[in-house]
Amino acid sequence: MLEGVSTTLAISIFSLFLGLGVGLPLSFVRAYAKGYGFFVEMFEKVFRGIPEIVLMLIFYWGVGLYFPFPFKSAFFTVIFVLGLRSAANQSQIFRGAIRGIGEEQMVAARSLGFSKLRSAVHIMIPQVFIFATPGLGSEYALLIKDSSYAFIIGVLDIMFTTNVIRKATSDAVTPYLVAAFLYILLTFPIATWLDTWGSRRKKKLGF
Amino acid sequence: MTEVVMECRHLWKTYQPRLTAVKDVSMRINEGDIKLIFGPSGSGKSTFLRCMAMLTPPDKGDVFLREECLTKPGVNLNKARARIGFVFQHIWLFRHLTALGNVELALRRVLKLPKEEARKRALEALKEVKVEEMANRYPAQLSGGQQQRVGIARALARNPDIILLDEPTSALDPELTGEVIDTLRDLAKMGTTMLIVSHEMPFAREIADEMIFFDEGTIVETGSPEQFFTNPQSERAQKFMMRLIKRTRRE
Repeated sequence: MLEGVSTTLAISIFSLFLGLGVGLPLSFVRAYAKGYGFFVEMFEKVFRGIPEIVLMLIFYWGVGLYFPFPFKSAFFTVIFVLGLRSAANQSQIFRGAIRGIGEEQMVAARSLGFSKLRSAVHIMIPQVFIFATPGLGSEYALLIKDSSYAFIIGVLDIMFTTNVIRKATSDAVTPYLVAAFLYILLTFPIATWLDTWGSRRKKKLGF
Repeated sequence: MTEVVMECRHLWKTYQPRLTAVKDVSMRINEGDIKLIFGPSGSGKSTFLRCMAMLTPPDKGDVFLREECLTKPGVNLNKARARIGFVFQHIWLFRHLTALGNVELALRRVLKLPKEEARKRALEALKEVKVEEMANRYPAQLSGGQQQRVGIARALARNPDIILLDEPTSALDPELTGEVIDTLRDLAKMGTTMLIVSHEMPFAREIADEMIFFDEGTIVETGSPEQFFTNPQSERAQKFMMRLIKRTRRE
């Protein structure tokens, strides 16, 4: 069971960071490089519109035939799919934050001689994170929950081990209750902590 | 011989669809000059100032900083902007940084000064505007007047060739404008080259070398403060001065 917890946690955290690495640049592309907005929008539509279980099966069984790396590994396939789905979500979360911060901070940065890119790095991104904390918290919780699909393609996460225990003990209730409790334990404290930290920070900085 | 710090020739800026904010404006600012632009709101003063700093690129005309033409294609505008100080009406400090952080950031990341030197210069700039004891506070923890003085320090710390100030006191409560004006007075004494948009008339009379009356996107009249206060030439400037002086008396 403990191994299942660490796998679930690993999937969620790696996908969160993959989503961050892809989603954050995309949000800036969509906010500032309007010409490429269409492609970002298409990406968001595709990954938000298709159920993640369908995507996982497509990549694991379909694409995996032609690209054994990384899709031969169920673990990496899950991270890839959830990461990109999260990127689509995070791109929208961050875009909202950029809008909330407003154009002024960018103009002020540029008046000091910062390029657009460096303004984004030094002035926008630190504020974007503070603005986006509630959204990021629920995104993390969503990833923990959605990682439970992974057992379908054979990843040894919480759900997988739960099923093994259920079959071994013929108890159909207790293992699921334990799993439910574990999911709550993984999602709730971190999401709440992020939210509180964000609101405190916002209050202090007058956002 | 006085050196030209900044100059613009036949500047035009039109917003969509047919709103011309700046119409054929030419101006030359020499080393140590303090020029003050005033005029009705919506007359294009702010847009003009932003065009000068190339924050809003003009449609037509040229802007020069020293000898360099900023409106030529291929000019590194970031480098040019690093030599122009800009103070905004609504201040626009970086909210996630302390007062010191606001001033320090460009010194470190644009001028690439080493950490200690950037800190030293930032503290000096904060001292010049008399907010050094607030160095570690965030903008939200400062009064409007203190915020604007940090804004001035941020523009000043890089030793820019010129400082452009867009109504630096108009967003502040009347009792807070005084401290910002004192700061500007200090800058004037140090010989800082400034182009200021402001309606603070007694202050203008005291420090401006030249006043420029702006209306409907263009310069209507230029002259010494004395001339504007005693005998404005154009009818529009006359009317506007009357209104301003009346308002100032009431305050």
